[in-house]
Amino acid sequence: MNYFPDEVVEHVFDFVTSHKDRNAISLVCKSWYKIERYSRQKVFIGNCYATNPERLLRRFPCLKSLTLKGKPHFADFNLVPHEWGGFVLPWIEALARSRVGLEELRLKRMVVTDESLELLSRSFVNFKSLVLVSCEGFTTDGLASIAANCRHLRDLDLQENEIDDHRGQWLSCFPDTCTTLVTLNFACLEGETNLVALERLVARSPNLKSLKLNRAVPLDALARLMSCAPQMVDLGVGSYENDPESESYLKLQAAIKKCTSLRSLSGFLEAAPHCLSAFHPICHNLTSLNLSYAAEIHGSHLIKLIQHCKKLQRLWILDSIGDKGLEVVASTCKELQELRVFPSDLLGGGNTAVTEEGLVAISGGCPKLHSILYFCQQMTNAALVTVAKNCPNFIRFRLCILEPNKPDHVTSQPLDEGFGAIVKACKSLRRLSLSGLLTDQVFLYIGMYANQLEMLSIAFAGDTDKGMLYVLNGCKKMKKLEIRDSPFGDTALLADVSKYETMRSLWMSSCEVTLSGCKRLAEKAPWLNVEIINETDNNRMEENGHEGRQKVDKLYLYRTVVGTRMDAPPFVWIL
Amino acid sequence: MEKEGLGLEITELRLGLPGRDVAEKMMKKRAFTEMIMTSSGSNSDQCESGVVSSGGDVEKVNDSPAAKSQVVGWPPVCSYRRKNSCKDASTTKVGLGYVKVSMDGVPYLRKMDLGSSQGYDDLAFALDKLFGIRGIGVALKDGDNCEYVTIYEDKDGDWMLAGDVPWGMFIESCKRLRIMKRSDATGFGLQPRGVDE
Repeated sequence: MNYFPDEVVEHVFDFVTSHKDRNAISLVCKSWYKIERYSRQKVFIGNCYATNPERLLRRFPCLKSLTLKGKPHFADFNLVPHEWGGFVLPWIEALARSRVGLEELRLKRMVVTDESLELLSRSFVNFKSLVLVSCEGFTTDGLASIAANCRHLRDLDLQENEIDDHRGQWLSCFPDTCTTLVTLNFACLEGETNLVALERLVARSPNLKSLKLNRAVPLDALARLMSCAPQMVDLGVGSYENDPESESYLKLQAAIKKCTSLRSLSGFLEAAPHCLSAFHPICHNLTSLNLSYAAEIHGSHLIKLIQHCKKLQRLWILDSIGDKGLEVVASTCKELQELRVFPSDLLGGGNTAVTEEGLVAISGGCPKLHSILYFCQQMTNAALVTVAKNCPNFIRFRLCILEPNKPDHVTSQPLDEGFGAIVKACKSLRRLSLSGLLTDQVFLYIGMYANQLEMLSIAFAGDTDKGMLYVLNGCKKMKKLEIRDSPFGDTALLADVSKYETMRSLWMSSCEVTLSGCKRLAEKAPWLNVEIINETDNNRMEENGHEGRQKVDKLYLYRTVVGTRMDAPPFVWIL
Repeated sequence: MEKEGLGLEITELRLGLPGRDVAEKMMKKRAFTEMIMTSSGSNSDQCESGVVSSGGDVEKVNDSPAAKSQVVGWPPVCSYRRKNSCKDASTTKVGLGYVKVSMDGVPYLRKMDLGSSQGYDDLAFALDKLFGIRGIGVALKDGDNCEYVTIYEDKDGDWMLAGDVPWGMFIESCKRLRIMKRSDATGFGLQPRGVDE
């Protein structure tokens, strides 16, 4: 390769697109590092505090697409205070100043303000794609600037964000000349939607493939929208309530039949189940179905719908489907690759209708299954052993037994053997979430067998520091480890400090680590940011005479090349 | 210099009984039931933030469903999903309290935001405006003289006469409203309010 001119090498690199591979290429030699960095267009930063915008721009001046992640995963479950950090504004400011030709920005768990969105919309002439997942801090005013100023906007994809809906006219801010939309997802907006503006926008967007509506878009509007966008591939239905005898319902039925490209369906935020049959004609084409917000659809309507979906690859559903419903899925959806079963009753009413039987049925019926997230009431080791035998190809296995510390409900044993069977059989396992009664033994198995494991979530598990040590010593590819309410302490934390250089981050909350342990760690590893998140007064922690033995409530540590961050709020103490 | 319990332990976010020290290690593995703090808080609080209500006595759990899910951030469902699934539990967030309103004789339903009314009087006025018919609201106040009766479907699916319970309780449990003709309700012994049995 050294005999080729740079342009040729660069051309070869164009075929290498995955971040992992590009990172590997850049390590081969100086010349490749140089060629690679000038040709890199897409950059992924898994922790926005691991580096900073200046370093990013210095290394990749030809950047076109940036993905940034902010808060740790447990922020999803209210374990991280809102003001913790993850602000995107400094990034956008730096990118704007540098005049890089940014076209795509994907953010997850970051704080985005209207000011950032406005700046974004004005600074990059070719900006095409904005994807915000689980972000917060902005309003529909920010969306209005994006709509108004981004002339070539292709994607506006808002997934599960907390957006302050000012019920403004952001949709009408798309100029009449805007005809380039491919993706428009505003399902998470709570307020009223200007239906006229929406319909006109959809009508002048011939490339629109993905449209996800919020609950303020009623069925008659849906019918009109689908009629003028028969090329739709991915549809998120808003409000789906109407009278099956009505004219708009009949129009909808007709419109749906024409949408022969439809492959993905979601939404049904408010649904009249008996109207679902309108979608039956296109179900045989569906590869993705997300009914996890459709609390009002269950029982026979759900089963009837699923029975038509023989090509389904991805299914997100509520546990109201029941074990029987999962058996139907198992016998119908032979192409299923990813399944998520969410709890319908978060108040723990004990009405959850899925148990280990549903899981076993799915594993037996769906040979291509590789990713599962399963909330259930109970589990047994025997079931997990069967699942492992049926599906040795799991990449992601996330099991959440709703009651912490719950043992095998038949034998009353811990679930160590069951999870052990999973990690032993699934040699490609990259992500694992544990639950139920678990001792140090399960971690021994994980350390021994889970060679490809990159992310592990632990809650209410283990007996001693040995548990955590098995994992840290054994899982060579570990990237993200998050632990809550488990008896792991300083010994485990400090055993191998260099391990954290190979990991993106470690989260430990309500464990046994102490302040002095964390301080020692911070001293040994200056390339780590060791954050103590304490919602009570940090000063009191310092004043206390035997502060060393003070248990730390929340610890979040991550490798970084830019040292302590400057934007931490007072309740975050960076050691 | 050993200081015995500066009391800072109280400031630590823990699950379990306050003041216990020795059993701390056991706490993590203690049966979940003992970690629960029963709360008299409303459902909507739990729905929105999943936060354990502090203080109060810890009781040995009954298997009460409400008690089970009061650990912070458990079950691990993201807060966006939590908020949206709570709508199913019929906890009406103020401001998002859109309920369907049907009126006998009118071929279409309406939707109105209960959260935007401050009380029964307000609701009465709003209902009048909604259907453009004066006098519906009167039903809420003075059962006797009105052509209509306002009833609502509560969380349990039962149809109740509007106006009996305090406003706060009403908007929390009201799932939909129906304005019924009084003539359809005769024979059910509807007493004007304030009349003793």
